[in-house]
Amino acid sequence: MSNQKKRNFQIEAFKHRVVVDPKYADKTWKILEHAIHEIYNHNASGLSFEELYRNAYNMVLHKFGEKLYSGLVMTMTSHLREISKSIESAQGGLFLEELNRKWNDHNKALQMIRDILMYMDRTYIPSTQKTPVHELGLNLWRDNIVHSSKIQTRLLNTLLELILRERTGEVINRGLMRNIIKMLMDLGPSVYQEDFEKPFLEVSAEFYKGESQKFIECCDCGDYLKKAERRLNEELERVTHYLDARSETKITNVVEKEMIANHMLRLVHMENSGLVNMLLDDKYEDLGRMYNLFRRVPDGLPTIREVMTSHIRETGKQLVTDPEKIKDPVEFVQRLLDEKDKYDRIISSSFTNDKTFQNALNSSFEYFINLNPRSPEFISLFVDEKLRKGLKGVSEEDVETILDKVMMLFRYLQEKDVFEKYYKQHLAKRLLSGKTVSDDAERSLIVKLKTECGYQFTSKLEGMFTDMKTSQDTVQGFYASHPELGSGPTLTVQVLTTGSWPTQPSITCNLPSEMSALCEKFRSFYLGTHTGRRLSWQTNMGTADIKATFGKGQKHELNVSTYQMCVLMLFNNADRLNYKEIEQATEIPASDLKRCLQSLACVKGKNVLRKEPMSKDIGEDDAFFVNDKFTSKFYKVKIGTVVAQKESEPEKQETRQRVEEDRKPQIEAAVVRIMKSRKTLDHNNIIAEVTKQLQSRFLANPTEIKKRIESLIERDFLERDMTDRKLYRYLA
Amino acid sequence: MRKEDTVKLISAEGFEFVVHKDAAMVSQTIRNMLTSPGGFAETQHGEVTFPEISTTILEKICKYFYWNLQFASGKETEFQIEPELTLELMMAANYLHT
Repeated sequence: MSNQKKRNFQIEAFKHRVVVDPKYADKTWKILEHAIHEIYNHNASGLSFEELYRNAYNMVLHKFGEKLYSGLVMTMTSHLREISKSIESAQGGLFLEELNRKWNDHNKALQMIRDILMYMDRTYIPSTQKTPVHELGLNLWRDNIVHSSKIQTRLLNTLLELILRERTGEVINRGLMRNIIKMLMDLGPSVYQEDFEKPFLEVSAEFYKGESQKFIECCDCGDYLKKAERRLNEELERVTHYLDARSETKITNVVEKEMIANHMLRLVHMENSGLVNMLLDDKYEDLGRMYNLFRRVPDGLPTIREVMTSHIRETGKQLVTDPEKIKDPVEFVQRLLDEKDKYDRIISSSFTNDKTFQNALNSSFEYFINLNPRSPEFISLFVDEKLRKGLKGVSEEDVETILDKVMMLFRYLQEKDVFEKYYKQHLAKRLLSGKTVSDDAERSLIVKLKTECGYQFTSKLEGMFTDMKTSQDTVQGFYASHPELGSGPTLTVQVLTTGSWPTQPSITCNLPSEMSALCEKFRSFYLGTHTGRRLSWQTNMGTADIKATFGKGQKHELNVSTYQMCVLMLFNNADRLNYKEIEQATEIPASDLKRCLQSLACVKGKNVLRKEPMSKDIGEDDAFFVNDKFTSKFYKVKIGTVVAQKESEPEKQETRQRVEEDRKPQIEAAVVRIMKSRKTLDHNNIIAEVTKQLQSRFLANPTEIKKRIESLIERDFLERDMTDRKLYRYLA
Repeated sequence: MRKEDTVKLISAEGFEFVVHKDAAMVSQTIRNMLTSPGGFAETQHGEVTFPEISTTILEKICKYFYWNLQFASGKETEFQIEPELTLELMMAANYLHT
């Protein structure tokens, strides 16, 4: 075997070349120090990067990092001291420019130094946790220049003065401003905030405090807001031009607080130009401005909203309670609509359709419309007026808009059932007198009501339309089966379903014999096809067309009510009749008869009768004659009844009573519905639930609900709990 | 190759390697030399002398620069390093920050 020598490998630690020259470090540093001087003196073109880098590299490698670093700090500091002196000595306006120039120089030098000392940055600094070269340069600049006692305050004052000058309208060097501010930002956010932003905000607050005080003394609200808006925009512009973007909210907050928030109430309530005046004068632009500015501050919009709400409520209240203005229902509703339109426009054009404002508007309307208990009646009268004549020659879309607007008012009503009552009455009159202008419009409104309040609400109204339709067919059938009736008076009958139509106490008057014979024929015809029904005549609702020949042979066709017809027919057999005779012959109720005679004898131009004595009112002893001198330009003369358009006081009471009566079963039904699902419920909750359920129709009165509950208990629908008297149980 | 796009790297023995700037800038150190503001001699003349890097190593380094570019653009190949060069190459890499 070959004797193998065991070879021991020893891996020695790698040794750097030993530095022989003890002055090596000093020598190398001298080279670098010289280079730094040259760099600050703009003399770097002769230097070899590689050489400097290699020297710095070797120094770090040979554990002279500490020496290199402290040398750097010292050299840089001394250079910055000199720079600081030269900046201090700069005169007036040149100060900032000098500062800016030196800053740029320093930055450039700093970058070069960092590049050649990169190896130190990479290895020595992280391991010893010292500040990296670039940051070090910035810190030294901050400590020696920006925070030097002679520069710090001067810098701040100069900046603030320039901004003040710009605020008062001068043009300043924004580029320079931007550079200086940028420098402060580069030195770290704390420098920017402490050395500039804070004092800047304080000075601004002071400035705007003074200015807003001045403006508010001498300007009206609109002008003030214009000025405030301009200032705000100026500050925004300033931020984009030369401030830190993060200052934007801070400075705008200052302006908002000083110019808007602090004067908010005064602005809103300013005499002759405040919010109320803006609303009155439709100043959309000013209102929009106010909205946009106030939106920025806390409580701004609520303030506007409150003032607007109380203003609307106030004017609305005046509108609905002013006895002058409620004389004409159509005018009254038109005013409401105008008011609503006005505020809708303001909200859409000035308040960016803000939902909260819309809600405020709605609740205000709801508030004051219901202040007047006759609002439901008036709205129905308005619709009546529109559907009778107002919609003639109006395009379909316009009809829709008018109806939509009416629906909007309708939504505000708390007592929707009262509206329904009146609407039914008015609709009945329209349908029976054939005065409705557009069937489509009628139906469209019904559909709207249906979507708003449900089938229940409109089923009867729809029933009325159906009755009209079937009646037409019935009458046709009647004439088809009685061909002998071709000559003589014509009868058109509308058969109305009891219940669907507003029930009216029907007192059948004595019809002229020609008519009553015809009526009898119809009755037998109708009952022949529909057994088991009862037919009664509503003579108070009919109309008649009669031909009349007056003394001098003038012929006219008179369009009159059934009552009037009955009265006029009497004069076929008599020349003179007194009131009592007429009343006996016709059996028309006194109040109706008076009205009917009044319209026949007292209306100028339509007075087909003459009466003695001549007076405006009908007395019990008056006598009547045919007015032989009656003339008219037209062949057809329409004699209207003197209708009380608005309800008279007793009628109103009556309607009211009927409404109350109708509510009772509804309340009871609601109570039973609720109790059926809940089984037990205490008093307060049941009241709340019932009110909620009935809200879409009317506002239920708690005492009434209580009465209904008691009545239900009596009838064994509910019982009180034995222990807790406030608790109700449902008895199935 | 246009002159502005290239840089001349000179080894300790005086051999000159002309390489693309893009390639040379794989080294962070060389990148700083060529881009530092203020105009050092290297930026002006477009040449860098490395008195402490031998020709063999510098050649290897130049190869590495191009290999690195290729590798970065997705062409994955092996980069051969002779064992005897390893130590010196590592020192140079430290110096050049590649």
